[in-house]
Amino acid sequence: MAIITLPYKYLERLTRTNRKTILEKVPLIGSDIERLEEDHADVEFFPDRPDLFSPEGVARAMRGYLGIETGLPSYPVKPSGISFTIDPKLANIRPVLSAAVIRGVSFDDESIQSIMSLQESLHWAVGRGRSKVAIGIHDLDTVRPPFRYIASPRTRAFVPLDYTEWMSMEEILEKHPKGRDYAKIVKDFPLFPLIIDSHDHVLSFPPIINGERTRVTIDTKNILLDTTGTDRRAVSVAVNIICTAMAEAGATIESVEIEGAQTPTLAPAERTVSVKECSRLLGVDLTTSSMVELLKRMRFGAEPAGADRVKVKVPCYRADIMHDWDLFEDVGIAYGYDKLESLPPKTSTVGKPHPVQVVMVLAREAFTGLGYLEVMPFTLTSEEIMYARMQRPETKGVLHVMHPITIENTVVRTELLPLLLEFLTINRHRELPQRLFTIGDVVVDCRTHQQAAGVSTHPDADFSEAYASADAVLHELSVDYTVKESADPAFIDGRRGDIIVTGKRIGIFGEIHPAVLTAFELEHPVAAFEFDLRAVPGYPGP
Amino acid sequence: MAELTQNERRLLAVLEKEKKADAPHIAGLLGATPEAVVQWAHLLGDKGLAAVERIVVKEFTFTDEGKAYAQNGLPETQLLRFILPGTQLADLQKHEAFRIGFGQLRKKKLITVEGTQITKVQGASTDDDESALKKPTASDPRTKDLIKRGILQECETGRHVIAITPKGLELAKKGLDLREETGTLTREMILSGSWKTASLRRYDVTKIPKKTCPGKIHPYQRIIQEMREILLDMGFEELYGDIVQQSFWNFDALFQPQDHPAREMQDTFYLRETMPLPPVWEKVKAMHLSGGETSSTGWGGVWKEEKAEQCVLRTHTTSLSIQHLARNRNPPVKAFAVGRVYRRETIDTTHLAEFEQLEGIVMDEDVSFANLLGILREFYNRMGFTSVRFKPSYYPYTEPSLDAEVYIDGIGWIEMGGAGVFREEVTAPIGVDYPVLAWGLGVSRIAMLRLGLKDLRLLHKSDVAFLRETPSLRKAKGGI
Repeated sequence: MAIITLPYKYLERLTRTNRKTILEKVPLIGSDIERLEEDHADVEFFPDRPDLFSPEGVARAMRGYLGIETGLPSYPVKPSGISFTIDPKLANIRPVLSAAVIRGVSFDDESIQSIMSLQESLHWAVGRGRSKVAIGIHDLDTVRPPFRYIASPRTRAFVPLDYTEWMSMEEILEKHPKGRDYAKIVKDFPLFPLIIDSHDHVLSFPPIINGERTRVTIDTKNILLDTTGTDRRAVSVAVNIICTAMAEAGATIESVEIEGAQTPTLAPAERTVSVKECSRLLGVDLTTSSMVELLKRMRFGAEPAGADRVKVKVPCYRADIMHDWDLFEDVGIAYGYDKLESLPPKTSTVGKPHPVQVVMVLAREAFTGLGYLEVMPFTLTSEEIMYARMQRPETKGVLHVMHPITIENTVVRTELLPLLLEFLTINRHRELPQRLFTIGDVVVDCRTHQQAAGVSTHPDADFSEAYASADAVLHELSVDYTVKESADPAFIDGRRGDIIVTGKRIGIFGEIHPAVLTAFELEHPVAAFEFDLRAVPGYPGP
Repeated sequence: MAELTQNERRLLAVLEKEKKADAPHIAGLLGATPEAVVQWAHLLGDKGLAAVERIVVKEFTFTDEGKAYAQNGLPETQLLRFILPGTQLADLQKHEAFRIGFGQLRKKKLITVEGTQITKVQGASTDDDESALKKPTASDPRTKDLIKRGILQECETGRHVIAITPKGLELAKKGLDLREETGTLTREMILSGSWKTASLRRYDVTKIPKKTCPGKIHPYQRIIQEMREILLDMGFEELYGDIVQQSFWNFDALFQPQDHPAREMQDTFYLRETMPLPPVWEKVKAMHLSGGETSSTGWGGVWKEEKAEQCVLRTHTTSLSIQHLARNRNPPVKAFAVGRVYRRETIDTTHLAEFEQLEGIVMDEDVSFANLLGILREFYNRMGFTSVRFKPSYYPYTEPSLDAEVYIDGIGWIEMGGAGVFREEVTAPIGVDYPVLAWGLGVSRIAMLRLGLKDLRLLHKSDVAFLRETPSLRKAKGGI
């Protein structure tokens, strides 16, 4: 979740309208207002729109949506004359670098905080926790170009941000808070990424930490932005979003030369889309000109290109526009979801329940007819409940969750009875008799099937009750079964029967073993049964 | 008027003749104890058929001392008889009644003492005192004096007098059924026909018997079944399937990039097991890397088969929808699923690691985003939510995307579910050529609101008392 702080005064100045209008309309472009404070609002934006992670970006979008300034925003870029080189040894470590020069910034404490939080939001949404993209922001006037992005020995030392003493890069990973947080991204590489100037001053150890030397302060006038990573597109988007946000705030952007190419260009991408396709997707009748106007309100450049076509210029900060439909969604948002008609589908179809659900509904009917109350236990449980307390060996094919949250959620249930006994434990203080049943999924060998189980507890619960109840439910479901003595250790010897269908054991009934009762802290006898719903005629085949 | 018990009727019948009588008297007639008669009389009294009066009578009895005086006269009487003209004090002192009698005589000024000479006053008599002793009355100050002197004692006795009221008399005149009462209607009575003359004991309908609880389905199950029925009515086919899914169908086929945060270990339950990829994997891979043959750019980066092969506990039922679409590529397809899904969340009152999700899809030649709004509005209306609105949202595999909100009195607008049109990046690799509308909602959210639960865990670790007390039919208002 990206929750962005929007100071009212700054937002009003940039948007050129009052806060009431902005706050009323900002949810309509895709956001949730989290909090309204005296001097600012906290608003959540979706992760596909990192360009809205700053007040500057929000103001830009709102000016368009409100019709104050529509169409493609333009961001002129001139070369700075500054260049970077990239060490080929970084190819398998962190190969991608982009950079920019941002001149004429005027910082105060609040605006420094604002750009830092944009940087952090981008690390999260675009950078996947800095592994894909990491951003460094430096005071340009503290270092001397040209710059070099190198693969450095791990022992090289510099003064990291927020420290006064020299530390080697290995020490930084161990001791610096940021080093510890992000060490896992680089720790296995023989060499570490490092950005240095022509005098060997360290700007940054990406993606971990900047050098203290280039710290940005309220006196900073010119910024050097470095962005490194593993994915060229993601790195460019991060640079574009920061540069255009700073340009919105009044700075000028200059490109740097990296490996012979000027970056960034902040130039829009182009797409030509069909008006008819957009109309069909949204279910509204659009004309070329209405679609052009709607796109412009979403800050796209747009112009008619033939009868059914619109040529769209996509601003460089819109990372989410991957497909024509992404543009169509913006057309829908500009049109207004509240203005779209709710239309029933034209095609007539016939509803059809799933056969497994049909069987389960009938089984529930049989149980409730016998006076059993349905419960719906969790499917995640523990070996302790499922097997140890039941005196049963672990079922072959039980699924163990790789990273359980608690010791109570380590396996997926293979049987239902243990969970019903657990229910009786929870409800020990409630009035007897208690007759409970559950019907639902169990998983064995990665395959899901359904079982049904019932328990009855009261001073007279016995084998005969279990037998009679099991028989009644099986009879209602037309299960043709035979019974033979069981060896299930969860039940009392001589008071337990296996339910057999076509030679295969599909269930069990009987009186629960006193040792099992004790393990579940139960004081009254329990008559119980469980069977596999796959034995029910009408259960769909594999 | 409440019906009479047999005893009440018998009493009323006696009263009809006696009109007004003492309880012991009536008890004799009915062969019952006076206490029982009084109790029945009170029950008749509650119905305005009889009046019960408790009459308190004050009685005087002699103390042991009094008994002797009653025979021999009061000490002052005895002394008075003894005094003759010329009787000396010394003579008098010899009399056994002197100690008490002398004081009384002086107090009552019946004698004069001059030196040792005792003389009766003219007309001195204790007759009034004697009569107060023999026939005491509460109003006589002499009686009170005798009580004070410990000669008489007062005791109260109560008796109940029962009288029939005009209303009771009127009822009795109509005739009373005085037959013997029977508790149980027996087979013998039914067969013999003796039930015709038998009087079955009446029960008091205001007395609540011991509660009994029917077997019933879980209130949460009832909500799930209600949703299923609505969707079946709306022409949807139901899907049901495996909890364990391959990452490929759970994530990759839905165009979730392999480095997406939702796919990380801390959000999803991964299993050691793997499954071989279906043949369509190469198309899905191409879509991730470069957008395949669509207008999409794809995610770029890398796509690893091993990641797609790994099994997970399904994080949504969309994995069932997408496989259903891959098998059924001809329009129309309208399907839904309700099933348990898993998220690796820390469990608390509003978060569970497993919960029910409802999901529906519609694939057809000419369906649009507006149809999606139409389906959702219809579904929520049928659930009882009359005010529904939509707003932009984001889901990785739909475009456009929306959130549906419903208005609930006293709470406001509540987000109820997400929806959208499957991205072409999702539909193209599996060979689906038409738009697919998809929507989902958390069933437990509605259950929590409807059942008034503060803790979601109670849906799954329920108190039996809660299950017993929650009625099958709730008085739902506005869907809640």
